[in-house]
Amino acid sequence: MNSDGWLHALTGELHRRGVDADLSRHVVAEAATHLRDSGEPPLQVFGLPANYAAAVAESVGTPRPGAGVARVAAPAGPPPAPGPVRLDVRGITKRYRRRTVLSDVDLTVRAGEIAAVVGANGAGKSTFLRICAGLLSPDSGQVRVYGKLGYCPQSGGTNDYLYPEEHFALVGAGRGLDRAEARAAGRSHAAALDWDPAGRTQARHLSGGTRQKLNLVMAALGEPDVLLLDEPYQGFDRGTYLDFWQQLWRWRADGRAIVVVTHLLNQLDRVDTVLDLTPARETSA
Amino acid sequence: MTKIWTVAELALREVLRRRGVLLILLVFPLAFYASRRGDHAGQSIRFVCLGLSWALSTAALFAGSAARDIEPRLRLSGYRAHHLHLGRLLALWTVGAVLSVPYFLLVRFDQTDVRYGAIALIMALTVATAVPFGLALSAILPKELEGTLVLLIVVGLQMVMDPADTASRVLPFWFSREIGTYAIDHTDSGYLVRGLVHGVTLTLALTALVATASGIRLRQRRHLRFE
Repeated sequence: MNSDGWLHALTGELHRRGVDADLSRHVVAEAATHLRDSGEPPLQVFGLPANYAAAVAESVGTPRPGAGVARVAAPAGPPPAPGPVRLDVRGITKRYRRRTVLSDVDLTVRAGEIAAVVGANGAGKSTFLRICAGLLSPDSGQVRVYGKLGYCPQSGGTNDYLYPEEHFALVGAGRGLDRAEARAAGRSHAAALDWDPAGRTQARHLSGGTRQKLNLVMAALGEPDVLLLDEPYQGFDRGTYLDFWQQLWRWRADGRAIVVVTHLLNQLDRVDTVLDLTPARETSA
Repeated sequence: MTKIWTVAELALREVLRRRGVLLILLVFPLAFYASRRGDHAGQSIRFVCLGLSWALSTAALFAGSAARDIEPRLRLSGYRAHHLHLGRLLALWTVGAVLSVPYFLLVRFDQTDVRYGAIALIMALTVATAVPFGLALSAILPKELEGTLVLLIVVGLQMVMDPADTASRVLPFWFSREIGTYAIDHTDSGYLVRGLVHGVTLTLALTALVATASGIRLRQRRHLRFE
């Protein structure tokens, strides 16, 4: 199935599941952008259109006639009080030639908080995260990180010819972990995403979703204080998507500061801060 | 040192798993050697050294390009830029050293009346120079195709330019022709010294270029402060 066929099928499946037309267009546009940018086959990245649509429908809480709806279970009880500031972003402005992508953007995330970065295609979500990670320079503004930083890119970021556990060893050595510690930590984070990383499968042979799990585990190794996650759930199946959000809440409960780029808007009532880059303003959830 | 060794070990594993590339690396210089073995034994030695330099530079170019994706996140994971480029240099130098041994043995047992020590020196300098040359190209030219074309031009010029021409001394493997003349034609040691100085200087300069390019690309940006 080519990308056009897959996107058409996804549109139909979303409609059948009663997903709001605007949200449906948004989801399809995001998927199309990802497929175009990555050049990967849609079935490998997202799976079957029906399954992906079902995951979207469930995550937005749209009832399907005759079917039970399992929303992502939010953590029980009130969230713990946020701790000290871990990420402080002030006055970030970024231009590409004459086009201003980010204009005077501020964001503060404390320990034990999740901030969601949302916005339309081209709004500068990934640019913002890359600036926060120090991978890209802004035209003006400052980022202060209090502690260690972990970053999960939207795609790439792995070595095609290494096994998952070799990736853990590589990142672990940078974090000061020995091989056994890195492997144990990697396996533990992978288990939370329902993934067994043992075995001799090179990264290039992993499915798109599994490679993103590897990416996410690499970002979390060494227990960074600030986690920057750029749409890390691309290609996740429904179950893994739910596991991902559960893991995010666990990390929040552990006192991490998390920034996640997302376009699945139903989760916004479960995060602490929303940075909407479409109008370039910050609102609180 | 643990970080450098880890990068080196995993970079070496990566290269060893690229079996097609390894096979080409192994066979490529042999084709150069065989092409002139019948009519001019001396030229076949010069050509095998050039083939080795071309193969290793290309391997380093591709290894450097492949690493561009993962290195920024490794930098964020606690590595410094020098851990990454030194580890990769060590891995590729090891591959080069291992690949050059059979070619030295080939010359040793297939050729007579040659200064074998000088041939070993050419091969050692070839490995030392070709790796940072390929990595430097990957740092300067992020697109593999552009880097490959530049390599093609450099090695082509290396073959056609007269080594006695002053301009040919700017080419990275000029030392190979100079020491080759000493080894094959039994000229005076001036050829050996000039070649040695050229090879060592180029190796140091190219390694410094790789370190500088890596340091710039993976620098901590001024807007980001860790408290």
